[in-house]
Amino acid sequence: MRSTTLVPLTISIFLLAALAHLGFFDGQRLARGFRNLGILGSEMIPPDMEILPTAGAALWETVEMSFAGTLLGFLAALPLSIFGTRRLFSLWVAHIARFVAAGIRTIPVLLWAIVFVILFGLGPLAGTFGIAAYTVGYLAKIYADLFEGTDPEILEAVGSTGASRLQLVRFVFLPEGANAILTQLLFMLEYNIRASSILGFVGAGGLGFVMQVYLQTLEYRRLASILLLILVVVLAMDSFSAWVRKRFLLTAQ
Amino acid sequence: MTRNGNQPVAVQANQIWFSYRNHDWVLKNISLSIPPGKHTVIMGPSGSGKTTLLRVLAGITKPGKGHVSVFGQSTYELEPRELSSLVGYIPQQLGLVRNLTALENVLMGSLGRLFHAKTLLGLFPRAESERAREALDMMGIAHKAAEPVFCLSGGERQRVAIARTLLQHPRVVLADEFASDLDLALASEILARIRRAAERENITFIMNMHRIGLARQFGDNVLALSNGAIVPGFIGNEILETEAIEATL
Repeated sequence: MRSTTLVPLTISIFLLAALAHLGFFDGQRLARGFRNLGILGSEMIPPDMEILPTAGAALWETVEMSFAGTLLGFLAALPLSIFGTRRLFSLWVAHIARFVAAGIRTIPVLLWAIVFVILFGLGPLAGTFGIAAYTVGYLAKIYADLFEGTDPEILEAVGSTGASRLQLVRFVFLPEGANAILTQLLFMLEYNIRASSILGFVGAGGLGFVMQVYLQTLEYRRLASILLLILVVVLAMDSFSAWVRKRFLLTAQ
Repeated sequence: MTRNGNQPVAVQANQIWFSYRNHDWVLKNISLSIPPGKHTVIMGPSGSGKTTLLRVLAGITKPGKGHVSVFGQSTYELEPRELSSLVGYIPQQLGLVRNLTALENVLMGSLGRLFHAKTLLGLFPRAESERAREALDMMGIAHKAAEPVFCLSGGERQRVAIARTLLQHPRVVLADEFASDLDLALASEILARIRRAAERENITFIMNMHRIGLARQFGDNVLALSNGAIVPGFIGNEILETEAIEATL
């Protein structure tokens, strides 16, 4: 059998087997789920806007946590990614830096938040550190790979001027990667705003704590208001990202 | 271009052999001696080893066997900063940082002699900035100093790359396939500017080229490569005046 047929066929069989195992073909269960969705939807409408003052304060805390956490993580990720660039440092230095980044990245943001709640107690400080930690692991890996993809001709040409490693970072790696650095940073900020809205589930501050209370007390109209607020913030963040990209990304004219 | 008594030698290569990962030899027993101030053009068909030879002469690639020296100093024993005061290198795609301006790219030529942390903030001594503007002016592109490189045309980028090397102020510049993708008139104008700048700054240029007309205009010497070896009889300046090289290339 030709590979052009075999590969899609294998993928299809695996997908069907996975869906069957996960219960996608249990018609009764699916029908019950859709009925419940209708009930849940009807219990969420109309959203209860009276909680806006409480939710607004929690939302602001969430935005602060994600903004501060992302930038702190970014500041820590840059040097780590530079140490993880094999073109700048010996193989073992790069391996250690990449191993540290991989280790940090392995732990999900929610788990990081729990760790920092244990260290610093309940509240947004723990959430900020949790977001910063996850950001370091993610951005350090992305940036190290980005720096390694820098055009070798530029490195050779600027290297032949006698530039030091730090000067190469400043004048080649950072400006050549500027667009991707900014794009990934914005992506991380968007991701962290979504992620930080559930950190309150483990006591790490922000909207999550309020959401958890409304879920446990079955106050779905109030929960709907929170979800709407998150949607507004995410849309605002999208617009902000688009503006930053348009304003700062370098493109040929 | 052969070694001549006690005359000073800009670039000396002795029995250079080179291969990539122990495959076939790309350079085979290359020996040459280039006097200072004599601009040399390396010619040859694609795959003849021109770029590899240039990289070996620039000290970027170490040969499997043999020895290269520039003004009597072995290129492989020098620290990068020491080497940069002797040798400048312009790769085929020029190696410019596209997101920085023409002036910032030229200023990079001074990095080898600037140790202080101010450069990391993008602050260069006034004297270096003035020299960088002079270098751009010498190449006829001072009015584009503030333009990012990605906005410049091919010819303008070539001028920026040369200006960066002028600011580096090495004694020898090696340029790979320089001006090869420009139209003849523009390439000719740029090469004329380079010759003037080289005479003023006392720099010896070695360039890979594949256009005979430009080689005749620019080169004092020509060296023809074929299959990794110097074509016998095709080393020296007399060949520029003959048509025989055209038949070989």
